[in-house]
Amino acid sequence: MLLEQLINGITLGSIYAIVALGFTLVFGVLGIINMAHGEIFMFGAFIGVIVTSVMGLPLWVAFIAAIAVTAVLGYMLERIALRPLRGKQGVSHLAPLISTIGVSILLENLSHHLFGAGNQPFRNAFAEIQIQIGSITIYLVQILIFVISVALMLALSYWLSKTKAGKALRATAENLETASLLGVNTKRTITTTVIIASVMGGIAGILVGMAFNSVNPQMGLSMGLKGLAIIILGGMGNVKGAMAGGLLLGIAETLIVAYGDSGYRDAVAFITIIFILLLRPQGLFGKNTAESGR
Amino acid sequence: MRKIIKNSYLLISVFMLLILAACGNDTTTTDGNDSEAEKTDGPVSAKIGVISYLTGPGAAYGEAITNGFNLALEEINEKGEVKIELDIQDSAGKQEQALSVAQKLMSSDDIVAILGPTLSTEMNVVGPEADMNGIPIMGTSTTAAGIPQIGEYVFRNSLPESLAIPAALEKAVEKFDAKSVAILYGNDDLFTKSGFDTMKAVAEDMGLDIVTIETFQKGQSDYNALLTKIKDLNPDLILASALYNEGAVIMDQARKMGIEVPFIGGNGFNSPQVIEIAGPASEGLIVATPWFGDKEDPKVQEFVGKYEAKYGKKPDQFAAQAYDALYIMAEGLKNAGEADRDALRDALAEIKDLDGVLGKFSFDEEGDVVMDPTVLVIKDGKFQLFE
Amino acid sequence: MLGELLNPYHLQIVSFVLINIILGISIYITLSSGQLSLGNAGFMGIGAYTSALLTINFEVPIILGIILGALVAGIFGILIGIPALRLSGVYLAIATLGFGEVMRVIFVNWESVTQGAIGLSGVPHLGREVFKTLTAIGFDPEILGLKNNQFIYLIVVSILLLINIFIVWFFVRQNKSRVGRAFAAIKMDEKAAESMGIDITYYKVLSFTQGALLAGFAGALYAHVMAYISPADFAYHRAIEILIFSVFGGSEVIWGAIFGAAFMTIMPEALRFISEYRYMIYGAILILMMAFRPQGIIDVSLLQWFKKIIKFRKGTDHGTGIKKRH
Repeated sequence: MLLEQLINGITLGSIYAIVALGFTLVFGVLGIINMAHGEIFMFGAFIGVIVTSVMGLPLWVAFIAAIAVTAVLGYMLERIALRPLRGKQGVSHLAPLISTIGVSILLENLSHHLFGAGNQPFRNAFAEIQIQIGSITIYLVQILIFVISVALMLALSYWLSKTKAGKALRATAENLETASLLGVNTKRTITTTVIIASVMGGIAGILVGMAFNSVNPQMGLSMGLKGLAIIILGGMGNVKGAMAGGLLLGIAETLIVAYGDSGYRDAVAFITIIFILLLRPQGLFGKNTAESGR
Repeated sequence: MRKIIKNSYLLISVFMLLILAACGNDTTTTDGNDSEAEKTDGPVSAKIGVISYLTGPGAAYGEAITNGFNLALEEINEKGEVKIELDIQDSAGKQEQALSVAQKLMSSDDIVAILGPTLSTEMNVVGPEADMNGIPIMGTSTTAAGIPQIGEYVFRNSLPESLAIPAALEKAVEKFDAKSVAILYGNDDLFTKSGFDTMKAVAEDMGLDIVTIETFQKGQSDYNALLTKIKDLNPDLILASALYNEGAVIMDQARKMGIEVPFIGGNGFNSPQVIEIAGPASEGLIVATPWFGDKEDPKVQEFVGKYEAKYGKKPDQFAAQAYDALYIMAEGLKNAGEADRDALRDALAEIKDLDGVLGKFSFDEEGDVVMDPTVLVIKDGKFQLFE
Repeated sequence: MLGELLNPYHLQIVSFVLINIILGISIYITLSSGQLSLGNAGFMGIGAYTSALLTINFEVPIILGIILGALVAGIFGILIGIPALRLSGVYLAIATLGFGEVMRVIFVNWESVTQGAIGLSGVPHLGREVFKTLTAIGFDPEILGLKNNQFIYLIVVSILLLINIFIVWFFVRQNKSRVGRAFAAIKMDEKAAESMGIDITYYKVLSFTQGALLAGFAGALYAHVMAYISPADFAYHRAIEILIFSVFGGSEVIWGAIFGAAFMTIMPEALRFISEYRYMIYGAILILMMAFRPQGIIDVSLLQWFKKIIKFRKGTDHGTGIKKRH
C-alpha cells in the first residue's frame, strides 16, 4: 500500500510541480504572483476535453489546441492586466496581484458560462493503458506525467542558463531598465515568459484531465492556491525548488490521507505556507539573502 | 481645470450607475402590484415567489428546478382551477442574497407563498424569517435534517436523506450480505455532510462494521489516495455521500483502481449525469430516490415527454420535485379557497395522498415528507429498479 | 406613514451594507500602513464563530458575545501580526491568504464544536432578541405603525448605524492623530519612517490587529444578523470580496472603503438582470481599476475637489466667494 500511495503522491506532485513551474517563471522575471495561473490551467484542461471528448479528435490535437489557447490567454493576460501597470508612476507593488486576481475571477466565471458548472469527463483510450507489476497497477499516464514534469524542469533550467533568450530573461529579471539599455527587448522577453508560463499551465491541465478524468471550473482555484504554496516552499523563482516542492506537497498530501485525517488534506499546503514564510522566507531551496521575504 | 472636468466625469458616471441601479430596483419592485385587481370570484388567483439558485456553480440545479415550475405552471393555468403567477428570483446560492430576495417577496403583500430556496444553507437563513412573518415556504430540494422543524410555516416536498439512505442501504445489505462498509463524504458541503450523518447512524444501527471514514472537498480531482486506502481495507460496500459531480469522478477512479464493490449514494448522487460522466464505471451505484423517470406510470411518462419536448433534456429529480411542488401549492390554494397566507398554510398541512410524478404525497405534522422511496441501481448504462 | 416607508427588503440590504462597510474599513486600516491582508475572511470567521458559540452554548448576552468575538479575532491578529512583520507585500498577502484557508479548514473539520459544514443555526438574532425584550416590557411596534419584521430590521439597522458612525468617527480621528501619521509614513517608506524614530513594529502590529479586530467584529455582527453561519461564509471568495470593497472604492482614504462597500453591496441587488455576469464584472472591475485608477474611485484629490466645491457653494451663499481658477 505504501508503494501505491507513493505512486499516487508522485503523480499528484508532478502535476503540482508543472503548475508551480509556471508560477515561478513569472515570479522570477516579473516579481509578480500570477493569481490567474490556476484558471489558465483550468482552461487548458477544458480545451483538452472539448477536443478529445466532444470533437473526438486525437490526443496530440488536444495538446496543440490547449497550447495555442493558453498561449493566447497568456498574451492577453500580459497585455491587459500586467503591461498597463508596468513602469507607471505611483502604482503600488500590490497592483499586479490584485489585477491578476481580477483575471482569475473573470476566467473562472467565464468558464461557467462556456463549459457549464459540472464535471466534464475526459475520455481517451490513452488514459486506459496500464502496466501491472505484482499487485500494483501503474498507468502509462502516471509515468508520462512524471516524465513531462521532469523534462519541463530540465528544459526550463537549460533555457534559462544556456540560451540567449534565457539570458535576456534573467537580465530582465535582474533589472528591467539596465537590460533594456543593454539592448534586450524587455517587452518581448516579458511577453514570451508569460506565454511560456501559461502554456505550461495548459499542459498541466490536460495531464490532470487524463490522470483523474475530472475537469471542472473550480479546479483552477484549488490548484492555483496549491501552486502558490509550492513556490513558497521551493523558493520564489527557483525552478528546481518548484519541482521539489511540488513532489513534496503531493506526497505529503497523499500520506496524510493514507495515514492521517483526509479532512486536513487541504490544510497541509497552507500551514506549510505560513511556517515556511515565517521560518525560512527564502524557501527550502532558496539562497539566503537579506531581501528575501521582503 | 482639466482636473475638474476629469473628476466631474467620474462623478457623473458614478451617479449614472447609481441612478441606473435605482431604476432597476423600481422596475422589479413595482411589477408586484398588477395582479391585485384580480380578486374577483372565479378561480383563486395567487402569486407565488420563487427563490432559486440561477447563477454560479450550482446554477444547473436552479435551472432544472425553474424548468419544473414553469412546466407545471403552464398546465395548472391551462386547467384553470387556480390561477398562479410566479415571481422568480435568483439567490446565487448565497445566504445573504436568498434572505434579501425573501424579504423582497415577503414584503410584497400579494405573494402568498414562497417556493425554494434551492440549498439547505439558504433555507436555514430564510426559513426562520418566513416563519416569523407567517408566509408558507416550501423547499423543493432541501434535504438536510431539521428543515421542516424550523417552524410551522416551513414545508418541503423533497425526500430527506433520513428516508432515502436507510431504504437503499437495507436493500443492498440484504442482497449482497454485506458486513463491512467504508464511508466517503464531502465534508465542506451541508448537503453531503448531512447525508453522511444519516449514513453513519444507519450503518451503526444495522450493526455494520465501518472500516474507515474518509472525506473529500468540493472540486477535488484526485481521489486516488483515499481510494487506495479503501481498496486495502476491502469493504463489502462503499457508502458515498457525494454530489453527482464529485461522486461520478470517485466511481471512475475507483473502478480504474480495481474496486468493484457497489456504491450506495445519497440523494445528491442520483442523477443521469453520473452515467454521462463516469460511463461504464458508474455500474453498481445504488440510490434511493422518489424519482424514477422510466417508471411505467402514464403520469410520469407524460411529464418526461413534455419536459423533453420543451427543454431538450430528460428531467432529473430536481425538476420532478419542483413540478410536483407547484401542484401541491395549487392543491393547497384550491382547498384554501382564497389567496391568503394563513389559509394556505393550513390547507397545505392537510394535504394527503396527492398524486404526483413522484408518487403519492403527504405532509406529516411537521411539514416533512411522507413517501416511499424507490431504490434504483445503475445497470447496463441506465437506472433500473433494484431488487 | 413610517410603516410604508420602511420596506424590510431595503432595511435588510442597508444592514448588509453597514456590515460590509466595517469589513471594508478593516482591510483599509491594514492597508493604510502598507500591509495587504487577505486573511480578513478568516478573522471574520473567528469573530462569528466565537460569538455564535458563546451565545448558543453558554447563553452569553449578544453584546458580550460580539465584543468577545471581536477580541478573540484581535488576539489572533496580534498572534499572526507579530511574526508576519517579517513579511511584506505579496508575501504577507499569501501568508494571510493561507491563514484564512487554514481557518476555514478548521471550521469544517472541528465538527464537535463547529458542526462542520452543517453550520451553526439558531444563532440568536440581534433584532429578534431586542424585540423580545421590548415586547416583554410591554412595547408594541404597532404604536409606531410598524409590522413586526419592519420593527426588527429597524432595530438592526439602527444598531449597526450607530456602530458604523462610531467606527468611522474613531478612524477619521485616528488618521489625523500621531498613529495615523505613523501609518502613513510607514506606508510611504518603511526605512525612512524607521530612521525618523517611528516604532515600526508597534505600529504595524497595531494596524494589523485593528484590522483583525474589526473583521472579527463584523463577523460577529454578521452571525447575529443572519442567525446562521457555516464555514463557506468565510472562504477565499469572501476575502476577495472584502478586497474589492477597498480596491474599487479607494484604498487611500477611509471614505473609499465605505463607498466601495456600499456600492458593491447595492449594485448586485439593483442590477439583478445582469446578476448572471456579476462575478465576471467583479473581475473586470479589478483589472480596469488597477490599469486606470489604481487608487480607487475615491482618492485624496477627489475628496479635496469635493471640499472645494462645498466651500465654493458656501462662499457664493454669503456673496463673498472669489472664483478660483485651476
